[in-house]
Amino acid sequence: MRFFTVMLRHTCRNMLLTWKSQGMTLFTVSLSVLIFSFFYLIYANALHLGAALDDDLRLIVYLDEEPPPPMQEEYRRKILKFDQVERIEFVDSAQAFKRFEQQLGDNRDVLGGVPADFLPPSIEVYPIRSMDSLSRIKRFSDYLQTLPGVLKVQYGKEWIERFYSFIQLMRVVIILSGSLLIMTTTFMVAHTIRLTLLSRQQELELLRLVGATNNYIRTPFLLEGALQGLLGAGSGMAALLLLFNWIKLQFAGPATSSLLPFTFFSWPVVLLIVGLATLLCVIGSFSAIRRFLQL
Amino acid sequence: MDTSPPEAMIDLIKVSKIYPPEVQAITDISLTVNRGELLFLTGMSGAGKTTLLRLISRMEKPSKGMIDVAGMDVAKLPQCKIHLLRRKIGMAYQDFKLLPERTVADNIAIAMEVVYRPKSSIEKRTRDLLEQLNLTQKYTARAGELSRGEQQRVAIARAVANWPEIILADEPTGNLDADTTARVMDLLHRHNRKGATILIATHDKTLYQQDTHRVIELSFGRMRAPQAEMPDADDAYGEFIPPVSEV
Repeated sequence: MRFFTVMLRHTCRNMLLTWKSQGMTLFTVSLSVLIFSFFYLIYANALHLGAALDDDLRLIVYLDEEPPPPMQEEYRRKILKFDQVERIEFVDSAQAFKRFEQQLGDNRDVLGGVPADFLPPSIEVYPIRSMDSLSRIKRFSDYLQTLPGVLKVQYGKEWIERFYSFIQLMRVVIILSGSLLIMTTTFMVAHTIRLTLLSRQQELELLRLVGATNNYIRTPFLLEGALQGLLGAGSGMAALLLLFNWIKLQFAGPATSSLLPFTFFSWPVVLLIVGLATLLCVIGSFSAIRRFLQL
Repeated sequence: MDTSPPEAMIDLIKVSKIYPPEVQAITDISLTVNRGELLFLTGMSGAGKTTLLRLISRMEKPSKGMIDVAGMDVAKLPQCKIHLLRRKIGMAYQDFKLLPERTVADNIAIAMEVVYRPKSSIEKRTRDLLEQLNLTQKYTARAGELSRGEQQRVAIARAVANWPEIILADEPTGNLDADTTARVMDLLHRHNRKGATILIATHDKTLYQQDTHRVIELSFGRMRAPQAEMPDADDAYGEFIPPVSEV
């Protein structure tokens, strides 16, 4: 206990001695955390949206004619062979017409005089939820296209392609902002620790002469790195929460909240981000100590 | 009466120190200082007094020979264990090694902080030492604002603050007037009587001429024990006050 009290006192003194560079480091760390977590928040919400859309995802296989029961069985066997399918439903022309009527609602009169079998029969294929990547859906669609009697396979291709391109872009942005976070935290913290080491050179020499252990000399610098990470990441996350609430206020409305449910990170994720940033700062501090502190 | 032979606290066997490229600072010095002994190291400037103290406190490694301090082979002591040696030694440096931006109290407390002494005990000891050295008013003054003589006393206070087993004082009275010199010597004698082994490097003859303790003279890095100044020529260790108590 006494050890930590003494170490904390030394750490606070170090930080006060180099308060200007400490302030710069805190600002840089919090900005990096803000940038990274902002994009990560968008990505996480996009994934949630994707998962919700996955529930409605289905591939509609239009057929040229009504398949007889043995043919239906043959289709079922061939489609289930793809083993990523949750269930399949056969929709004949009459069912398709009925659905279309329901969709039109009060305007169903426009269908007056139209034959009930003008819509082609189809098979609705519901892929299992893990099948979330575009390439797999594409591959499945191509496979379905090869089945005999298939006119067309439809699955909202263009929309899904755009959505997955966006997800891919977000992944790249997250990797880049994550790299920025790693670089800024480790380099800035290492630089600040180096400045502190230089400003306390005389004292460190004296500490060695009066019998301080290596841990006694090193620990305040590691604590300094940890504090920089904790404070920087904490303020970065607080800034993100403010930004999040501001955005929610600006775009508040029943349509946006139901179509795009935008949620903040859960507490474990917040703690994980703050913990990772703190760890990175400790690593930066450790590398500076190894390079510049000759014991 | 204790008839057991005196226990060696510092033992130097044929120690030499050569600074690069070829500066021979110390040559073949063999010396034993017993526990509780007070010894004066004299000699002209450049005779090797400071080098000898630096070798004992492992600020330097010997080029040749063996140094044993409190049972530790100083030259072979691994870096991670040097603090064990340094905690047994309190050293008053010739250049004081004070932190000019820190207060007098902080400068003295630093030696006690590294061994995690309680804050109240540190403060009490600091005030006590400052009183003994007539520096009570300077408790909160910055070390850099003090005169040379005051800085020297702060350095001595720091050296003795932890009640070390060994005190090495390099020219401890070089900047002091007669009265203050007497105070400093009184402080050192008091620690010696309580069991501390003390080596005082000085070229101030007034310090040891009237004193009964052993005097070793260094000349051009070699040792010679001046007969006239030895209290007892037959006694290799001279007369020393045995330890009253272990601290």
